[in-house]
Amino acid sequence: MAGTALAPTPAPAAPAPAPGKRGLGRALSDRRTRFGLLNATPVVVYLLILFVYPIFSTLMLSLKGEEGGFTLQWYTDAFQGANLEILLTTLRISAETSLLALVVGFVLASAISRLKPLWAGLAMLVVVVPHFISALVRTYGWIILLGDNGVVNNALTDMHVPGAPVQLLYNEIGVVIGTTAVMLPYTVLLLFAVMKGIDRRLLAAAASMGAGRITIFRRVYVPLVAPGLVNAGVLCFILCLGYYLTPALMGGEKQTMVASLIDEQVMKQNQWNGASALGIILLLLTFAGLLLLRLLKSAGEALRNRGTAS
Amino acid sequence: MPETDVMPELSLASAAGLTGSGKPLSVTRLRKTYGGVTAVDEVSMEIAAGEFVTFLGSSGSGKTTTLMMIAGFCEPDSGSVVVGGRDVTRLAPQKRGLGFVFQQYLLFPHMTVWENVAFPLQLRGVSKAEQRRRVGETLEMAGLSAMARRRPRELSGGQQQRVALCRALVYRPPVILMDEPLGALDKKLRDQLQNEIKRIQQELGLTVIYVTHDQEEALVLSDRIAVMRDGRIDQFDTPQELFERPRTPFVADFLGAANFLPGHVEQRTSGHTLVRLDTGGVVKARPQAGTEGARVRAAVQPGRLALCPPDDGFCTGTVETVTYVGTLVRVTVRPLGGAATELVRLELPAGRAPDLGERVGLTADPANVSVFPDTEHGG
Repeated sequence: MAGTALAPTPAPAAPAPAPGKRGLGRALSDRRTRFGLLNATPVVVYLLILFVYPIFSTLMLSLKGEEGGFTLQWYTDAFQGANLEILLTTLRISAETSLLALVVGFVLASAISRLKPLWAGLAMLVVVVPHFISALVRTYGWIILLGDNGVVNNALTDMHVPGAPVQLLYNEIGVVIGTTAVMLPYTVLLLFAVMKGIDRRLLAAAASMGAGRITIFRRVYVPLVAPGLVNAGVLCFILCLGYYLTPALMGGEKQTMVASLIDEQVMKQNQWNGASALGIILLLLTFAGLLLLRLLKSAGEALRNRGTAS
Repeated sequence: MPETDVMPELSLASAAGLTGSGKPLSVTRLRKTYGGVTAVDEVSMEIAAGEFVTFLGSSGSGKTTTLMMIAGFCEPDSGSVVVGGRDVTRLAPQKRGLGFVFQQYLLFPHMTVWENVAFPLQLRGVSKAEQRRRVGETLEMAGLSAMARRRPRELSGGQQQRVALCRALVYRPPVILMDEPLGALDKKLRDQLQNEIKRIQQELGLTVIYVTHDQEEALVLSDRIAVMRDGRIDQFDTPQELFERPRTPFVADFLGAANFLPGHVEQRTSGHTLVRLDTGGVVKARPQAGTEGARVRAAVQPGRLALCPPDDGFCTGTVETVTYVGTLVRVTVRPLGGAATELVRLELPAGRAPDLGERVGLTADPANVSVFPDTEHGG
């Protein structure tokens, strides 16, 4: 291949898009390109050692049989019985958490975006600061709040709410509440940035031509925030997929997520191959999430264009 | 249902009393203060159907605040706004059924041109077929048919503003309000769009209230102009009246950059006022202000002055500068005699330019010379 490309060819008609080597050779002769490559080298080396190599060796590990050799056994294991259930639970809890974080984040962000700059700054601080506190501390905070004798249940009991105390810990409610609290800063920050960028006079313009509040919200505000909603939702989902701490501390047996399973396989069963396969599956799910993001975006575009055609 | 030539009355428009009697819009003693500062002070006016009215004033004159109170974006402290016989003073903007064109276009970025224009019709529950017909017609009229499927950000500023105009008139509001719609465009485009706005307004018989600080724009577009200053209307008249018979020195100065010649009233008759200028000459003016002997200023627009042989006119002086501006020539003359300091500005047809340093006389038709008491300083 390289040989033919480098060989002096009797140039046919027009110079077609230069074949690989030749283009590369020409690119390398450009001083700016060489300089750029030189600059990129440290980063490339860093990524190769700390990112590509570990992932690659994880991949190899997940494909290695117990007595060496190639096998897909660990993957079939991951999609069977209890393991499959854990995968599905992970997806379900991630979806629930993303949805809740989106809704709460939307309400919070739109309220904050309407505040005066000083108050908005303070409100953002309140939203973001917990993010800098150890997730462990925050999770224990939630455990204190949500326990059977916690603040919430005591209040409910005092108000004689039927069914109180409600179990809010070591079940799915607990996991979703705790994880949502962890994810909230991301959704609020992302949505706030989008909402801040919306020209509020557009809403006034809609009002001037007769649109009521609900119509303005539905037809103007939400469509303008939509890209942010998609971004925040997918980011949140991806982050939840591999999240370990809160589900492990606030969930019960039924809320075991993939990250906990990996932990168990490595720490208790010394089963590195299976854990590797699960890790790779998580990685692929993340890619799938990102792909979904792109699909949603182009689908939205197509939908709008179709709307125009009618 | 048989189709008629007349646009079917839309729910909001008919709610606004389009069918009712009376003027499309009347404003009574509108007043608005911001923290002790009076932004709009007792503004009243009536606007007839099909009229193009402009609020003209510099920034801070209260023109935009008045418009915002009519639109409903800002609530007046007192006074009332009546649209087609219905008092809308306390109503939210969306319940007034008016149209509004903003300086910043404010098209919906997530909708195409077509969807933007169709949006107000959808709000009114207009049928799909009817929407298609009317959006099509409106875009056609504005020369935007080819742009229907584009997004606002793919259009130039002028095109965006034309879309905004379409969006405001497609549902036939009884009054369309425009807040410096051409303010963000360059001069050439502005002239072009002025013509287009005027054409569309006349073609459709639209009632328009237009806000601008550009007197030329106001003169080109308007049937009547309300010249505003410090929250009040100085004068509300046709462009010609404002230009030829300004009621205050401010109007004379703002619209025509008038020359103000100090002097005193020498004689008053029923037909005219004779003003003895400080430079010595006597100028004949419209009978307007001042008792005999009172200090006054005679105001005359640069375009209403003419040259004559020295000593024949009310003033004699030497030509200081001559500047060609296309078909016009701007001339400044330094008056001789007295302690007069200010240069007199003239605009003459290009063919009649005097030479630099030439001694010339100045004359003017008495009908174009106004007299104001010398108490306040115009401009």
